[in-house]
Amino acid sequence: MTELVQSEPEGVGAHPTVPALREAFGDSILRHEVVAGDEHVVFVEPLRIVEILRWLKETPAHLYDFLSDVTAVDYGGGRPIQVVYQLYSIQHRWALRIKAELPISELEIDSVVPLWDAANWLEREVFDMFGVTFRGHPDLRRILMPETYAEGHPLRKDFPLRGRFTRAEQTRRALSREPKDYYIPADLEAGGEPQLVRWQETPEGPSEESNDR
Amino acid sequence: MTKKTIEYEVSRTPELGMDFRPTEGVLSAAELPEPDFGSENMLINIGPQHPATHGVLRLVLELDGETVVRCVPHIGYLHSSFEKLGEYRDWNQIVPLTDRMDYLAPLIYNCVYVMAVEKMMGVTVTERCKVVRVICMELDRVFSHLLWLGTWAIDVGAFTPFLYAFQERERVYRLHDAFTGARITTSATRVGGMMADIPDGWAEGVRQFADTLPNTLDEVETLLSTNGIHLGRTQGVGVISGEDAINSGLSGPNLRASGVPYDLRKDRPYYDYETYDFEVPIGEHGDCYDRYLVRMEEMRQSCSLLHQALDRLPDGPINVDDPRVVLPSKTDCMNDMESMIHHFKLVMEGVKAPEGESYFAVEGSKGELGMYVVSDGGSKPVRWRVRPPSFVNLSAISKLVEGGLLADVIVVNASLDIVLGEIDR
Amino acid sequence: MSDDLKTSGSGLVGGLFGTGTPTFLTTKVDFVVNWARRNSLWPMPFGTACCAIEMMASAASDQDLARFGMERMAFSPRQADVLICAGRVPYKLAPVLRRIWDQMPQPKWCVSMGACASSGGVFDVYSMVQGIDTIIPVDVYVPGCPPRPEGLIYGLMMIQEKVRGESLTRHAEHRFEDPDQAGRPEADDEEVRALSGPFGNSTRQEESAGLVSEGGPATPRPLIP
Ligand code: SF4
Repeated sequence: MTELVQSEPEGVGAHPTVPALREAFGDSILRHEVVAGDEHVVFVEPLRIVEILRWLKETPAHLYDFLSDVTAVDYGGGRPIQVVYQLYSIQHRWALRIKAELPISELEIDSVVPLWDAANWLEREVFDMFGVTFRGHPDLRRILMPETYAEGHPLRKDFPLRGRFTRAEQTRRALSREPKDYYIPADLEAGGEPQLVRWQETPEGPSEESNDR
Repeated sequence: MTKKTIEYEVSRTPELGMDFRPTEGVLSAAELPEPDFGSENMLINIGPQHPATHGVLRLVLELDGETVVRCVPHIGYLHSSFEKLGEYRDWNQIVPLTDRMDYLAPLIYNCVYVMAVEKMMGVTVTERCKVVRVICMELDRVFSHLLWLGTWAIDVGAFTPFLYAFQERERVYRLHDAFTGARITTSATRVGGMMADIPDGWAEGVRQFADTLPNTLDEVETLLSTNGIHLGRTQGVGVISGEDAINSGLSGPNLRASGVPYDLRKDRPYYDYETYDFEVPIGEHGDCYDRYLVRMEEMRQSCSLLHQALDRLPDGPINVDDPRVVLPSKTDCMNDMESMIHHFKLVMEGVKAPEGESYFAVEGSKGELGMYVVSDGGSKPVRWRVRPPSFVNLSAISKLVEGGLLADVIVVNASLDIVLGEIDR
Repeated sequence: MSDDLKTSGSGLVGGLFGTGTPTFLTTKVDFVVNWARRNSLWPMPFGTACCAIEMMASAASDQDLARFGMERMAFSPRQADVLICAGRVPYKLAPVLRRIWDQMPQPKWCVSMGACASSGGVFDVYSMVQGIDTIIPVDVYVPGCPPRPEGLIYGLMMIQEKVRGESLTRHAEHRFEDPDQAGRPEADDEEVRALSGPFGNSTRQEESAGLVSEGGPATPRPLIP
């Protein structure tokens, strides 16, 4: 039962799933680490992430049916951003962490929303905070920051703690946003496709008088 | 695995629910042809400043008459960037941030954060500390469920349980106050132990609380469990099947109400939970009423857990004897240079965690609460991530309310037990 | 009708002190109006975070705000007198707060409850308003993280004190807010800097180090894409 995860001796292969994963996907399984005593981390090829996660979710011998978390880690200094999936198998009581490393210049990975609905908001949050684009996500918008947020992706290491603009500028921007700006009428039209709203800074900036009241 | 199915004192008959539609006569719904008004759907906005959204949640609903066709939740109105702030704080300085994240169950958050850091650092806390933390976590599970009970009752239209629940909460406030000096923002834990040992008489206070709480719960249950309005508004509302619930990532009471016996205290036991004797209540219908029953039963189980933990509270030190993390005693500091330098360094530079990472999850009051900490060997985390249970629970709300009635949206939202501080972080 | 309450010849109703006693009191209008206002303040709870829980606690059984005439929490800004802003206010919420303030009819007062609402508190970060006084005028600041219910009640009693000292004749002057400025910041750049300066002073350090940019002008998105 739980001892499998909690007290097996460390070392590659101690986890029941990892050897099977290696067998099934060969070279796409890049690395296997054991951290904090008993937590198994598997680094995989980002291009095959959906395939691998689907295999983990659906193979009867493993059945990682519970997606705890999707998040990302930025180590800074231009190192690749890691997208982290925490999986758990309710039936077998095994936990596994899958990581995919994305180079900072090309932050794109396939979305796992088709596998788990739980990934929907979690991926939106990663997109909002780190700027990782999830291909095939049904509704990839900013989730925590306002849609028109123009300062970047806050949890990146190169983002200053207090934002890029001055406080006065931030206040002004905040107040010039109408609360009803966040309606997305097209998004709500019955049967309509959700619309992807992406903030883009207009190159030359709008006319001055529009906000100088 | 111990399972427990709730015995319904009330049979789930449709007559008990309130159904005001005429079933015969001229107005019989079946006989009237479906009118075609050529009407358009209506957009309605709830929140972010709305008393029934439990904070600053915003729901944009598309209605066809009174039926919800689409529900688009908007969150982020309380985004306080805890995770970014954490990257600028020492390991111990993060503790005060954790209780501001979920202010309904602050001690659970304090505990799970340091548990994750200790796991990463390989620190094993003392036996006494373990039991004290179990007491803290169970106490706050009750604390959080009580607030849920009060607001839930208001949302289904009853006010009295709110006053009952807050009376009990005041007692927990006082316990918090006696132990940590603050009513909500407790910040009670430190890496390697607690900020202090429990004060004299505190254990008796907790015992007394655990003794008398079930009486209040009984009173509230007589008000709610068989109340026709309550049953009519909650039974069969916001139903989600076990499979869907797992797929949507629901956890905690919301998942268990759908019949999935997943409780981290049983499935991935920590702090000797496997040696405690308690039961995990499981619902069977996955509707709002089952979520209510599961939480009510959980509070009783927590009371019994509190008793068991108090019975086994061992003597001994509360902090580990590990100079890497724990400050030397005040007397030592005053009397010997080494300790003073050590104290100075620990305070000024902070605890240093070795390179590594760890994900540690406990059964919080809202569901699986995980903390994922990544260290690069310094005194500050590279990443501090919270696996937010109510964030994931809330993401299922569209699924739960679509196709239902507008009035049910409020009930479903209340039954999910969300806390915006943790959703938006 | 008893004897001493007989109608006198002049048609006056007999009073407590005999026939013909005038049945009125003389006082100042200000006093009466303020007395009435001060004892029936309707708070509008704008609760966002932890402080809101303490606000609920002060309205619940133990502390019972109703003792001070705040029986009715007005959840609609149109029917409220005091805005209690309890909790953190991020920039995303700022326009909402401003709108609620603009929707409240005069006379209105504002209590900023807790460190976060008053100054940003520990959250000196990219997403947080550094004190709601950069957005709306504030009458009373209640310190604490969170303030205890006693603290909030004291703050509200300070509002009552403030009401006591107000005068109807000078009211318009004291509480003037330019309707053209509705939804706009009260404070200009300098003032925001000064207000958030003492707390968010690290912003200034970053400014002098050239780490923050002034940013371009704000660009509201067209409402219909
Ligand atoms: S002042 Fe403290 S208690 Fe109040 S909202 Fe801020 S962090 Fe929470």
